[in-house]
Amino acid sequence: MAQVFKPRANTIALAVLVSIPVVVVLIFAINYQLHASPYATLMGLYVDQPVPFSHKHHVGDIGLDCRYCHTGVENAAFAGLPPTHTCMTCHSQLFTNVAMLAPVRQSLATDIPIAWNRVYKLPDYVYFDHSVHVKNGIGCSTCHGDMSKQPLTMKEAPLTMGWCLKCHRDPGPHLRPVSEVFDPHVPDPQNDPQKAVALLRHYVIETGNMTDCSTCHR
Amino acid sequence: MTDIAARSAAPAPRLEISRRAALKLFTGGMAASLAGCSPPAEKNMPYVDMPEGLVPGEPQYYATALPLGGYGRGVIVKAVDGRPVKVSGNPRHPASLGSTDVFAEAALVELYDPERSRDIRGTQPINGWTEFLGELQQWSGKAKRGEAPLHLVTSTVASPTLLGQIASLKQQYPGTRWFAYDPLGGAEGARSLIPRLDRASVIVCLGADPLGPGPMQIMVSRAFIKGRMPESPGGMSRLYAVESTWTLTGANADHRLTLPPDKIDALAMEIVGRLEGHPGSPLPLDKGARHFVDEMIADLQGAGAGGLLLPGPMLREETVQAVLQSGRRLGAPFDRAATFPAQLRPEPFAAFEEILHSGKVQNLLLLDCNPAFDAAPDAKFAEALKKVPFAVHAGLYDNETADLCRWQLPLSHPLEAWSDLTSADGTVAIVQPLIRPLYDTRSQHEILGFYAGQTAPSGYDTVRQTWKQGAQDAGFEDWWRNALVKGVVSGRSPQFALSAGNTETSQPAPSQPPLDAPADSNSFVALIQPDQTIYDGRFTNNAWLQECPKPLSKGTWTNAVSLAPEDAAALGASDGDVLAISSSAGKIEGPLRIDRGQARGVVGLTLGYGREGAGAIGNGLGYNPRLLSPGSLRNVIRGIQVKKTGRRAPIPSTQMHFSLEGDLRKLLPEVAPGGSLPASGTKPSLFVPPPPRDPYSWAMVIDTAACTGCNACVVACQVENNVPIVGPDEVANGRAMHWLRIDSYDIGTAEEPRHGFEPVPCMQCEKAPCEPVCPVEASVHDTEGLNDQVYNRCVGTRFCQSNCPYKVRRFNWFAYNSGQEYKDLGKDPMPARNNPDVTVRARGVMEKCTYCVQRISGARRDAEKADKPIADGELKTACQEACPTEAISFGNLQDKGSMVNARRADPRHFTLLEELGTRPRTTYLARVRNANPKLAGGSA
Amino acid sequence: MSAIVSGAQPLPSAGDAVRAQKVERLTHVDTIDAVNTLVSGPLLDRRRWRRWWIAMIVASLLTVLFFGSMIYLFAKGIGIFGNNSIVVWGYPIANYVWWIGIGNAGTLISSMLLLTHQHWRAAINRLAEAMTLMAVAIAGLMPIMHMGRPLYFYWLAPYPNTMALWPQWRSALIWDFWAILSYLLFSIIFWYTGLIPDLATLRDRAITPGKRIFYGALALGWRNSARHWHIYQTYYRTMAALATPLVCSVHSIVGLDFAASLMPGWQETIFPPYFVVGAMYSGFAMVVVLCAGVRWGLDLEALITTRHFEIMAKVMLMAGTVMFLSYATEWFSAWYSGRGVDRRFLSFEFTGAYAPLYWIMIFCNCIAVQAFWFRSARRSLPAIIIISILINIGMWLERILIVWNTLSHHYIASMWRLFYPTLWDWFVLFGSLGFFAFLYLLFARFFPVVSMHEVKELVQREATS
Repeated sequence: MAQVFKPRANTIALAVLVSIPVVVVLIFAINYQLHASPYATLMGLYVDQPVPFSHKHHVGDIGLDCRYCHTGVENAAFAGLPPTHTCMTCHSQLFTNVAMLAPVRQSLATDIPIAWNRVYKLPDYVYFDHSVHVKNGIGCSTCHGDMSKQPLTMKEAPLTMGWCLKCHRDPGPHLRPVSEVFDPHVPDPQNDPQKAVALLRHYVIETGNMTDCSTCHR
Repeated sequence: MTDIAARSAAPAPRLEISRRAALKLFTGGMAASLAGCSPPAEKNMPYVDMPEGLVPGEPQYYATALPLGGYGRGVIVKAVDGRPVKVSGNPRHPASLGSTDVFAEAALVELYDPERSRDIRGTQPINGWTEFLGELQQWSGKAKRGEAPLHLVTSTVASPTLLGQIASLKQQYPGTRWFAYDPLGGAEGARSLIPRLDRASVIVCLGADPLGPGPMQIMVSRAFIKGRMPESPGGMSRLYAVESTWTLTGANADHRLTLPPDKIDALAMEIVGRLEGHPGSPLPLDKGARHFVDEMIADLQGAGAGGLLLPGPMLREETVQAVLQSGRRLGAPFDRAATFPAQLRPEPFAAFEEILHSGKVQNLLLLDCNPAFDAAPDAKFAEALKKVPFAVHAGLYDNETADLCRWQLPLSHPLEAWSDLTSADGTVAIVQPLIRPLYDTRSQHEILGFYAGQTAPSGYDTVRQTWKQGAQDAGFEDWWRNALVKGVVSGRSPQFALSAGNTETSQPAPSQPPLDAPADSNSFVALIQPDQTIYDGRFTNNAWLQECPKPLSKGTWTNAVSLAPEDAAALGASDGDVLAISSSAGKIEGPLRIDRGQARGVVGLTLGYGREGAGAIGNGLGYNPRLLSPGSLRNVIRGIQVKKTGRRAPIPSTQMHFSLEGDLRKLLPEVAPGGSLPASGTKPSLFVPPPPRDPYSWAMVIDTAACTGCNACVVACQVENNVPIVGPDEVANGRAMHWLRIDSYDIGTAEEPRHGFEPVPCMQCEKAPCEPVCPVEASVHDTEGLNDQVYNRCVGTRFCQSNCPYKVRRFNWFAYNSGQEYKDLGKDPMPARNNPDVTVRARGVMEKCTYCVQRISGARRDAEKADKPIADGELKTACQEACPTEAISFGNLQDKGSMVNARRADPRHFTLLEELGTRPRTTYLARVRNANPKLAGGSA
Repeated sequence: MSAIVSGAQPLPSAGDAVRAQKVERLTHVDTIDAVNTLVSGPLLDRRRWRRWWIAMIVASLLTVLFFGSMIYLFAKGIGIFGNNSIVVWGYPIANYVWWIGIGNAGTLISSMLLLTHQHWRAAINRLAEAMTLMAVAIAGLMPIMHMGRPLYFYWLAPYPNTMALWPQWRSALIWDFWAILSYLLFSIIFWYTGLIPDLATLRDRAITPGKRIFYGALALGWRNSARHWHIYQTYYRTMAALATPLVCSVHSIVGLDFAASLMPGWQETIFPPYFVVGAMYSGFAMVVVLCAGVRWGLDLEALITTRHFEIMAKVMLMAGTVMFLSYATEWFSAWYSGRGVDRRFLSFEFTGAYAPLYWIMIFCNCIAVQAFWFRSARRSLPAIIIISILINIGMWLERILIVWNTLSHHYIASMWRLFYPTLWDWFVLFGSLGFFAFLYLLFARFFPVVSMHEVKELVQREATS
């Protein structure tokens, strides 16, 4: 009878058998990498805005305080975006007819809000509260990075649940004194155990329920 | 009052924002179910000019009042981004006392109902307000010349401003006539008295339902329970109910006797006679009933001034007056409800019908009432109304009456308009808008303003005018601000422009014919009562109230025809059979419910159903009992024939089994006053609970003795937690979603059936059976002792519910709230009612009570910001807040002084299914029955 | 490596042999060649498949129904089934337990009987194993169809994710997940390795090059060398030894789904063993039905003899009696516990809304099988088939009643409620049966339904003795 298979058939058969489990493992690994990668998290991504607003300029060069525009940050869940009027407090005097600011003037004239593009987006089933973090010694730059160096706003953190938990499991190193909370330049985390313990005490932080599901999901 | 300013000067984007937020929320559930890699691009819209005092996303609270049957109940409404999301009671208001009823809780849904009348409707679609005003001008001219005097029809009016406006209209247009009616009908005298149950030691209700739905329900229930507490002065009060069909009062009575309406009427006269000391011939009764009556009267006489005899609206006006007079003589504890100057009394509905049928009416305004449905749903009335050349209906809905009128004017919802309301006890509250009108609507005051000839009437000014004293009133602004903040008016009375001229006082309401025509053996007596969740038909299109189970039968989405078991047997009919009920005047059909403990020969009917012009939700449900005697507004109708139609229409019900035989009885134990339950003691356990890792351990104690079954907590929970409506078919499939249910049990004996209520939220077990069985940790325990249900993690294996001994979990079989809503509940602006602090659950997800974890979390965050612990009573769950009788207490177990700890030490304390060792955090206090030892079944 | 090419027994021409055997039917088998012809003949001859096509059309229609309703289910939502908020479990769970049960028998037969040297198994173990494979595969689909959010079924697997979340290991459903998975993988390997020698035979007897390549590839270069046989035997017996505990564990774990709860009627220590027996019971019943079908369809009267059926009847008799005992134990412990809820539950079982079904189940599972005490019943094929079908119905009823009775009648009286199945419940049930038939027909068409090499072994032994 004629040959059905060539000798290399053996090798192929062997390779196929071996590759079955390997492929399974690879699928999981690749899937994880994909979800953790900026492709999915959009981390490090600059977002275009109707007005090319530069935090670098306003925070870094001029030195505006975060709270000048984000008024809600200390007492509300949402830090809040400045109403057009806030922009106009300065820009009714400065750069009054720069093309760049046309949308702002238009918004004021037509009474239609400026539609900024979201940079930091959490799912709707996650309930994040800025005020409680700020009041308990978590600085802006912990999540938003050094805004004084961002010409356009960039997503600094992956905002994955794993990322949130890292801090909720061990908040100590991320705490800072009240004076530094709104300072964009403070590095994070700070590796000073004594300081961490002291701050945990100072802010009376109950770590017990910080990893409860109900802390963020309702 | 910056926030008022903010609201009246609210910028356009504001509504946009709230709509957007609502939409986002609404799709939240869907988003939760999509595990997309990169999130969809989303816009952030700040204000152009932020309203002062508003912090985006943070709630604001305003005190206002909501009407029920014309009277007001003070409420405090929570608004987020200018969007009302929750109604709760106003502690300062005596008709609310910080609690609510089902109608107040569900009012939001009415505000956002997509089927509300949005635009003015005339003969042509193009007609707008201008056309209407043009036409109005001509007719006002005629009215001035006396050619076509204005006829105004309203339901009960208790708004000083409105009364003032009507009075001035009467002056402006001589010959103006005002007719008003209460759709509930019946004896007016019985409705307009306030029983002071806290001061009574023996209460005898003759067909009266003081605990039932109505503008006084909250305050009366609170007073009742105050008098029921064993520690109350003069001991615990005893409640006797003599009635024909089940009412909430009967369900809460210590002793209950069932008699047909005529006998109750006669009994009333007998009792009065014996109290006054000139007993007539005793009413012929069978031996048991006679014994009951004698002991009852003896008890009543023994109580002296603490004895209270309450006549019901089912009695004849004469009887009611007789009872009240003797009551006053004996100093019985009751007051008369709010009254107004004689000049401000309307004429009865009968008078209106008379003149309408005489064809004299040309210029007619029907203000926020619906007589074509709830008073005279007959062809004759409809014909006559169609003939009226300038018939105008102003209402929230384009309803049955509107269809017969030339004009339909869209009315603003009480949450959109300025007004003022008197509560049954006479307290006045200013009604302030929570949101700018969603559509091009006007308030009642503005519409009457148009009639008064104003070109651009403002409700705001009109109301303020009522309370200003004179042109220059220095203290006014402060007083006004204060009234708004407190939600209660004090130190001023309304300024009515009363002329000595018109002083026609009202004729007494048409009383029912005397008992000369006794019900013959083969005909029935129909007894009409307000529906326990739909009331008089104003709320027929309110899905929250439709799905709210009737307290005793647990039926939903329709009204039933109730019969005594013997009568049903005689007809050979069983539950759910459609019966044909016919009187000389009309015929209706409705599904049968057999009620143990209903008088023989009586057909129990309820109002509010059988509507055609209600809207998608309310149309075609149930029957309208008014068809049996159109126009008469009577509640007792004799000579009724009942037949089987052969069809069946089972009532969608949330509970199938009511009796507690054998050891099931321990589900709802009962003790005598001062009695206690056998102490269970702590048994040895392998599961020693670990020391708490957190300063809070939440727990709830529910006093079943204080629960009157009013359902306020059920609806409050539903509104607070975005619990979806599933619709009649799904309820029939056993898929109702209420997180908090009130189990209704038949705990009586064969001869004396009685009811018991037991609210069942999640037990929040410390050793929760639902937790170890969940494969994905969607059901987990948190450090405060709650069983969290993580909706976004749930995959829907439903093992948790099948392993839950209390069956308190509810499953989203369809996307009830996120794409597959019942009828039009998904339409804008309905999603705007959603509470932004609670996830809208997706399809295929299990959900349950979490002690309002969003509120707990909010309180915690505030406490952490302020670095101070949460004080006892500072944090309330929605059900606790709503409960008129304070039956629910909630608090921190680690706080030794907390209310829950006190109640857990009570000898009446018990745990549901304790033997399972689930260690529930939700526990109960046993029922208390203050039985008369001299009566059979007197042993509790 | 040239060995791959040459077949085991060089034959003049496979084709001739087949054609020679085509016409007259074999009544009994005495030569190895006869076995080859009998079993492999049909696979290699296109002209013998009318009955197969008829069966196939029916099965395909039902398969379409199955996947049709699955698609509708995923589109519309789990609400299309008859479940309600109280009876949250329903048909998919019952179907799942039932199919898993059937899936058990195959491996039991081949492994247990192999270890206990029951040589008669040779004729039926192959088709029993195939049955296992397909039954388990279908059973695996059921929990997914049962889930509220099926698209997240993989959350039950411990895979690395950015949420830093893992499954909840205390849940019986997780144990289940692993049980099904490992059992499925195992059965595939066990079944396939058992096939290899036969695949080699087919390769060598194949006429067309296509078939030769198809079977050749699958045969993995098997040649009848003593070394091959030595390795094969050791390996196969080891697998069998592993299989037996695995089979028991699988259905014990399914039993734990219920037993590891605290609901009346579920929380019973007897569940695991009683589920295993039940599984074996329904499995054997299904094997009987399949044997009968295959035997008739492929004229294998000579290989699958009445003796086989008789032995299986005995096994079923044993199992059925054990089932009876288990039920009795349930009743006794419910009564003996003295707990109100358990006794109420018992009286609900006997007299409640589902009582008629319950009594039918008792008849099918306990009474009917008693006929096998009589030799005549054991030897009459119709009787055996009818009783086997009754047993399968009875076992399905048992599963659905375990779910219904407990969930309908539990601790809190106010929440007692009944289950009313919808059309979709039935579609899924019968659809799954159709899909099973579909797979089985494919198997019968392309693979030897009887383990040729083992039968040959027997023939050899008989010939030598």
